[in-house]
Parts: sequence; C-alpha cells; structure tokens
Amino acid sequence: MSPLEAVLAVVGLIAVTTVVGLIWKARTGRVTTPARATSDNVVTPADVGTDAPFGEKATLLQFSTEFCAYCPATRRVLGALAERNDGVEHIDIDLTHSPELAQRFNVLQTPTTLVLDGSGAVRARIGGAPKRPELEASLAEILLGETRAA
Amino acid sequence: MSQPDLRPLPGTQGIDPRGPRFSAGITAVLLAVDLVLGLVGLQLAAWILLAVIAVLFLWGAVAGVQKHPYGALYRAVLRPRLAAPTELEDPAPPTFAQLVGLIITGLGVILGIWFPVIVVIAAALAFVAAFLNSVFGYCLGCQIYLLLVRAGLIRRGAGTAA
Repeated sequence: MSPLEAVLAVVGLIAVTTVVGLIWKARTGRVTTPARATSDNVVTPADVGTDAPFGEKATLLQFSTEFCAYCPATRRVLGALAERNDGVEHIDIDLTHSPELAQRFNVLQTPTTLVLDGSGAVRARIGGAPKRPELEASLAEILLGETRAA
Repeated sequence: MSQPDLRPLPGTQGIDPRGPRFSAGITAVLLAVDLVLGLVGLQLAAWILLAVIAVLFLWGAVAGVQKHPYGALYRAVLRPRLAAPTELEDPAPPTFAQLVGLIITGLGVILGIWFPVIVVIAAALAFVAAFLNSVFGYCLGCQIYLLLVRAGLIRRGAGTAA
C-alpha cells in the first residue's frame, strides 16, 4: 500500500469509528418503555436478593459492576433523585456477586437502571448513564399515576 | 461557594476522569501511526511500535493508571491548566481497561512474529477502543467485564448486594 492509501485507510477507520461513537452517545442513557406492564415483569426485593424495601411509589433499581465507568456517577444521580422524592427508593445491585440477575434482567451494559412503580412493575429501562431530563420526566409520570391510584 | 460532590468509592483514591481519556488519546494517536506503518509494509517498525504500546499497557495494568507515565504527564502539563474536575472516578475501571489493551496488543505482538498481518489487525482493534474511550468516554473494558460476569467467568464470594 502506498503511504497515501495507508493514510486514507486510517482516516476511513477514524470516520467509521466516529459514526459508531456518535450513535452510542445518542442512544446511551435514553429511557425506553417496555410493553404494557404485566404480572411477569413485577420485581420484588427478594428477586434481586436485597433486604432493602422498595419505594412505596417508585423504585430506581440500578445494576452495576465494580469495573464500570459511569456507575458511581449514576449512583449519585439516582440517590439524590430518591432523596428528593417521597416514596422513591434507590437500590444498587452489584452483578459481580449475582450474575444470574444479569441473565434474568438481560443486562447487557452497566449501569442499567429499571424504574419500577409502586407495585414493582417495570415501567422504564435505561442502559448507560441516564439522560436526566428523560429520567425525571419518566419518574414524574409514574408518580402522577401512583397519586391518582391512591 | 458550594463544593461539587467528590466522593470516590470507599477505600479508594479518586482520580480525575479526564486523565484516562487523555492517556487513551495518546494511545490512539500511537496506534494510528502504527497502523500506517503496518499498512505501508514497514513490518518491523510496526511490530516494534506495537510492542512499545503493549509495554505501556502492561505498566498501566500492573502499577495502576495513577502510576502510568501518561497519568503523570496529564497531572504535570494538562491538569494545572484545566478547571477542577466536577467529580472524581474510581481508578479500577481504567486500570482494567489497560489489561484489556494489553491482551489485544500483546496477542498482536506475539502472533505478529509469525503473521505480520496480525499486527495491523490488533492495532486497528486497539485503536477503535482507545479512540472511542478518548473521544466519547466509551469504556470497552467495562463492557467486557460485564460479559465475563454473565458468562460466569468472574465470580466473587457472597457479597454486599445492597
């Protein structure tokens, strides 16, 4: 390969990698809503092996590992959000100690956060460090529903 | 003036998260140069540079990112010119990423002795990982760690799931 061709090949690789990075950046942390809540997507504290009670109105269920760039920051964001909202709890589960949970909840990246309503049903799912406005809107909607139901 | 929350994980010394991204940037540039060398057919030069990069990964994986020369360069040259970090980060994930980099480039160096094309492939793979880490903050090592946990290859004793 001539030097020019080699440089062009590397520039091409940089371009493709940049596109991949932009797609990842746009998608990471977005809130997705699963299909209508059914009885089989209800999560209990026992399911995830914790003694901590879930929130009365909503639970921010975070799955982490020890080697995770954005888990500590996500922990702080979710912890603060739970503190600001009555009846909302934040639970952080380290998958290193319970890999079967990664299988069951199909966790493909860390952090992954499930937003549960008062009954424990999964109402939203976020892969990566949450985009805060989307997360707060999703939580507000769940809390509104809980208030109406009460 | 309110201070940002600077809590690292308990028992660890937090690091400025921009340090590892700066290091990944230098690594990405070296790997791009290595790719060009390999593609133009300067096989020995490409092999030697990949070996040097692998040794630097070994340094980071064994001594930790804080004791890596790029970390020292960041603290000496760049850090004083930047604003204080908004949050500190656990050094364990970037150190694990150094191990992943070592495995990719190390395999390239060893297999490259017999098959020079492997040097180019390893440099390209490592370049993609380093570039994504430096520019976008994507952590390939974290992803691989989770996949190893899922595959049951990493398992710690009964722990603190709370």
